[in-house]
Amino acid sequence: MILAMARDLLTWEKQEHLVKLIILITAAVLSFATRLFSVLRFESVIHEFDPYFNYRTTRFLAEQGFYKFHNWFDDRAWYPLGRIIGGTIYPGLMVTSAALYRIMWLLNITIDIRNVCVFLAPFFSSLTTLVTYALTKEIHSTGAGLVAAALISIVPGYISRSVAGSYDNEGIAIFCMLFTYYLWIKAVKTGTIFWSSLSALAYFYMVSSWGGYVFLINLIPLHVLALMMTGRFSHRIYVAYSTLYCVGTILSMQISFVGFQPIQSSEHMLALGVFGLCQIHAFVDYLRSRMPKDHFELLFKTLVSSVLTIVLVVGTLLTITGKVSPWTGRFYSLLDPSYAKNHIPIIASVSEHQPTSWSSFYFDLQILVFLFPAGLYFCFARLTDSNIFIILYGVTSIYFAGVMVRLMLVLAPVMCVLSGIAISHLLAKYIKSVDAGGAAKATESKRQHKKLEQQSGGVKSEVAIGFVGIITLMLIVYTLHCTWVTSEAYSSPSIVLSARSHDGGRIIFDDFREAYYWLQMNTPEDARIMSWWDYGYQITAMANRTILVDNNTWNNTHISRVGQAMASSEEKAYEIMRELDVDYVLVIFGGLTGYSSDDINKFLWMVRIGGSTDRGAHIKEKDYYAANGEFRVDKEGSPTLLNCLMYKMCYYRFGQMYTEGGKAQGYDRVRAAEIGNKDFELDVLEEAYTTEHWLVRIYKVKDLPNRGV
Amino acid sequence: MKISPVLLNLFFLTCFCAIKAKIVNKNVERSLDLSSQLVKSTIKITAEDTTGKPLKEYVLILNEPNLSYISVTDGSKNEIQARKSNGGLQYVITFGSSSAHQIILVETVSTKNIMPYPEEIKQHEIQFAKYVGLVHLYSNYETYSQKTIVKLGTSNILSHTQVKPFSTATDKLIFGPYENIKALSKQELVIHYENQTPFMTVKNLERTIEVSHWGNIAIQESIQLAHSGAKLKGSFSRYDFQKDGRSSQSAIKSYRTILPSSASGVYYRDTNGNISTSNMNSLNDFIDLELRPRFPLFGGWKTQYTIGYNVPSYEYMYSNGKKYQLKMHLIDHIYDNMAIDKAAIKIVLPEGADNIQLTTPYTINRRQNELVHTYLDTVGRPVISFSKLNLVESHIADFTLNYTFSRVSLLQEPFLVSGFIYIIFVLTIVLLRLDFSIALHSHKD
Repeated sequence: MILAMARDLLTWEKQEHLVKLIILITAAVLSFATRLFSVLRFESVIHEFDPYFNYRTTRFLAEQGFYKFHNWFDDRAWYPLGRIIGGTIYPGLMVTSAALYRIMWLLNITIDIRNVCVFLAPFFSSLTTLVTYALTKEIHSTGAGLVAAALISIVPGYISRSVAGSYDNEGIAIFCMLFTYYLWIKAVKTGTIFWSSLSALAYFYMVSSWGGYVFLINLIPLHVLALMMTGRFSHRIYVAYSTLYCVGTILSMQISFVGFQPIQSSEHMLALGVFGLCQIHAFVDYLRSRMPKDHFELLFKTLVSSVLTIVLVVGTLLTITGKVSPWTGRFYSLLDPSYAKNHIPIIASVSEHQPTSWSSFYFDLQILVFLFPAGLYFCFARLTDSNIFIILYGVTSIYFAGVMVRLMLVLAPVMCVLSGIAISHLLAKYIKSVDAGGAAKATESKRQHKKLEQQSGGVKSEVAIGFVGIITLMLIVYTLHCTWVTSEAYSSPSIVLSARSHDGGRIIFDDFREAYYWLQMNTPEDARIMSWWDYGYQITAMANRTILVDNNTWNNTHISRVGQAMASSEEKAYEIMRELDVDYVLVIFGGLTGYSSDDINKFLWMVRIGGSTDRGAHIKEKDYYAANGEFRVDKEGSPTLLNCLMYKMCYYRFGQMYTEGGKAQGYDRVRAAEIGNKDFELDVLEEAYTTEHWLVRIYKVKDLPNRGV
Repeated sequence: MKISPVLLNLFFLTCFCAIKAKIVNKNVERSLDLSSQLVKSTIKITAEDTTGKPLKEYVLILNEPNLSYISVTDGSKNEIQARKSNGGLQYVITFGSSSAHQIILVETVSTKNIMPYPEEIKQHEIQFAKYVGLVHLYSNYETYSQKTIVKLGTSNILSHTQVKPFSTATDKLIFGPYENIKALSKQELVIHYENQTPFMTVKNLERTIEVSHWGNIAIQESIQLAHSGAKLKGSFSRYDFQKDGRSSQSAIKSYRTILPSSASGVYYRDTNGNISTSNMNSLNDFIDLELRPRFPLFGGWKTQYTIGYNVPSYEYMYSNGKKYQLKMHLIDHIYDNMAIDKAAIKIVLPEGADNIQLTTPYTINRRQNELVHTYLDTVGRPVISFSKLNLVESHIADFTLNYTFSRVSLLQEPFLVSGFIYIIFVLTIVLLRLDFSIALHSHKD
């Protein structure tokens, strides 16, 4: 209706503006709305693990101000070590939400800081949608931009990390990344200092918000390098890159967590190298324009060989002296997927660091997987400076996404951009023929019909209609798929679990919050709580108690010590717990409800990590396997397992419980086995609290007995 | 020997009265209800002036510790004039009718006079409580005859003070009748008995009433709750708790809160989010909300939560031109036999409310008015805040708040929003139409 009215009232140009605006606004609103499933289904609550840390720090920042935040020494984590929060995080996310919070309060919008955090990621997804449009428009065309914007607004690969409540760095980092790319393309196209400075600022924002900025600072130099190799290097690129690199590097060093890394660590060396190369290239170009050809060639050869030797010598020297830091483990695991598994159990134990399976590509991207090569083809077919960038982005990110599941996030936007290009290209080609069919009927002249057909690429209108129909169908299926994936897979807060009961009603398992709230209310203010590191952030945020290890897994030996305590027998564990000043121990147990990611299922990682340091040499993984090499908790299980602290804490008094009809007492519904060690008492611990569905069990570490008793 | 000034004062007062008249308590009937965590007593005093003159004044001594509520009525339940004197330690009752024979009905509620004993019990053990009070009414006057009925709600009595004559019924102890008790006689009464009723104390209640002239009143109560009964000793076993629910009767699993029948949009949450364990039953006269804390409360355990709801303002607001009157409960029901240590009440009025006058049913501790800035505010909303210590259910009564408010102020917010949008549009139009660039460049058209 509106469009019909608009057709009568407005000129063609204004109509186009209106359509563009409507599509963009719809896409932006949609990208916000589709991320609200969990808020509507549950409540406005922070999800998962890391977001709880971000939420807690944001609350601190909003209440105490930036300087207090910057100097914050957190004694609630990593007891007894503590953690300097200000210097060990990327503060972009917290600063962004605290700023939004302050602005809104200034305008008398008295919103809760939690709600700012919950809705930040969807809000930034809306912005991402707009930026994707701008980026694709710069690279290809307005039409491609609109399609890409529409695609990215609901792509599950991105939604997985940006639903409401998923308050993590990635939520804003994807926006920053695409924004930097957009400004970079602008800078490359115009060659002005203005755009490149802007892109340096955007880069600074990106650095401040996510460790993934390393990808960006390697991709842009790679683009420059590719342009050099294809002979497309020009003054525009020289200006753009030199400005970006200098300003961007200096700015990025202001983030205290990044510090001197941009000039020391090997991950940033490509950028530095390309910067040097740029200067040389520009200098060489200058000389070439001023010198006779044979003189120039002589000079060129000597220069190249001498520079190469100097770079090599200096590079090796710096590496040997340790000025340039060796490559970190996470980076190795990017290049070699099996590296982490063999060398660093703590990295391998995180499920989001696993290599991606093929099915998850389809699950997260659906038709984009097929459209991506087509988009690449269209880019190759008409190479430009900016096209080369998007090709490089696509090819590198698809590799990284294959190595690590969570980098799917980086791949999703470029998939949308390239698919947008492909769809818009194809539709633009065929829709003309559809129109031609209609136009031909109106004129009813065969000759004209043929002429038109030739103009529009020689496609019959029936074929064109069929093709457009298929594309439309694919897009509809894509929409349905995305909505389904979002609602089923990515919208559960994981802090509240829900299940279906026999009569079809919904049962809510709110045990985590029950336990954390119990800790907050009924333990001493300074109680120290030992748990596996997964729950560290949640405990500090929701229970406000001191914990030994948390999700910032920087100290391997400390985590290993906790792993040793969990894997040892009661007496040994008591020594470790006394040593670590533990007051309460918290375990997650799913045996009653059938919640499978509980501590028993994670237990082998505790054994591995516990045994990976010197002090845990007595803990050997094979002791925890049954005679036939299986990991089992029933009578056949290894005696070491059946008597270790973790087993006892999980199954204390569980042997008397009936869990499932027709099964014996103490039937574990996750492992589908009747537990092997039923009748035991705890000597050094006492049950302090167990939640309603036994999901969280908290034990109090007893004091040493009085003398002579 | 030290004589406290209070006693001395009393002594003089009695002497002074004795010259003019000789008042005696002809008959005193006391009934103490100790079946919950509160001590509820009803005292019926038949007083007489033996000289035959009309009885004008009667002095009632309030010696009960932690006295929370008191009401004094005459035989036919009409309120009679009573004023506090002597620093709130005694009531001077003045009678309207002139008769030598008067009936006084005193009802009191006090908190924290029934203490758990032993102070720590294990999960499966029974909670016992000890009450320490007086066998006789502590009175200025001689009492001819007195009888005390103590309702315990249980027949499991471990021990009690044995002043003959006394008798035991199924869940009652009857002391007396005692005759010819001297004035100011004090004899301790101790009863040690089973009391499994929930010992719950609201440590702090923050009640906010936010009035909107668009037809809504939002009420929010933030409650710190503690189990003040016998503390849990040793471990808490979920297995035992689930196997036999009756084994830990003194623990609080759930309780009912009664909300006004028109309440809507009820929420129940804490700092970690929504508490999903509650049931709401809408009945004719009220809404019955069954609240279950995140975890059962055992002795010494605490919890904290927020509950809130909206009610339509037409039920509580009255207006006459520019004058408005708000009449609402000062505190509301939280659970049966509740005890609130401290309540702080805030009433947020709409922006522009003026000439605010507060009338309360009992004395409160008024604080300075504040201003709060929230959605679409410019000058801020006036906030009336006051507090009171030691409240019980009998304190649920209406306060009255009179203020003036002009209806034109209602339009301020819509105007603010539309004005803001208008300015944005104008700015956009201006910015798009005008060329602000410094460089000269030729126009295409």
